[in-house]
Amino acid sequence: MASSAATRAAASTAKVVKPILSRDLDEAKRRVRELYRAWYREVPNTVSLFQLDITTRQGRDKVKEMFDKNKHVTDPRVIDMLVIKGKMELQETINVWKQKTHVMRYFYETEEPRPTDFLSKFYRGHDP
Amino acid sequence: MAARVLQQCVRSLARPSLRLSSGHLAVRAAAAPLATVHRPLSFAADSRRTRWLGQSRIPSVGVLCRQYGDLPPLTLETIKDRVMYVLKLYDKINPEKLQTSSHFMKDLGLDSLDQVEIIMAMEDEFGFEIPDAEAEKLMSPEEIVQYIADKKDVYE
Repeated sequence: MASSAATRAAASTAKVVKPILSRDLDEAKRRVRELYRAWYREVPNTVSLFQLDITTRQGRDKVKEMFDKNKHVTDPRVIDMLVIKGKMELQETINVWKQKTHVMRYFYETEEPRPTDFLSKFYRGHDP
Repeated sequence: MAARVLQQCVRSLARPSLRLSSGHLAVRAAAAPLATVHRPLSFAADSRRTRWLGQSRIPSVGVLCRQYGDLPPLTLETIKDRVMYVLKLYDKINPEKLQTSSHFMKDLGLDSLDQVEIIMAMEDEFGFEIPDAEAEKLMSPEEIVQYIADKKDVYE
């Protein structure tokens, strides 16, 4: 009885952690939007600088896709960390510290998706 | 549009240039040209020059008129037309369903990143930066028109 009450009390008190860059979710979302703007404006320069064989439209769709992959995140610290990593990628792309192959790595899938239906799992060797 | 401004400039100068040869300095000073054109200071020299050449000749425009390049003044109508034109070009929006008051997220089904793209297109169209704190609140074409009118001092 006493232990369950203590766990309930511990669960109800919110854990206050030190923020990385932004204090709440709105500020984190603002940073995400700024990063998206910077990437959106950078894509045509990247396509011409690295002499990529893709169109600007394809590049921008890929940027949108990478941002949509993390759409579900709600923790501001995680969002901040992702924004920091995105900014690092942007800096490397702008200053041509990357090469063509590094930029094209976004376009090719390197990992196979995990199987979901029974037969694929069976062939792979997982138990259903 | 610049050609139209130039034509008006030439026309307004052609009128005082005919009066130049008759030598009415006061009339010419009163017949002020468009606000964008500045008058040269040497009135007397010009009147003497054109009296030699006769009434029919209109002097070259560069002699009497200083021409500045500028865009035509913005009105609410032109802002609205330009905003709707840019939105119709955006491929994720269905142009039939687009109204002035349609909400981007609720009516047109766009994402927050799509809204960022739209605001960036507006920045490129009108040529001034829209900070993100205010850009996140603009959710329909009407609000965008109001915001641009506020920033550019367009009178309602």
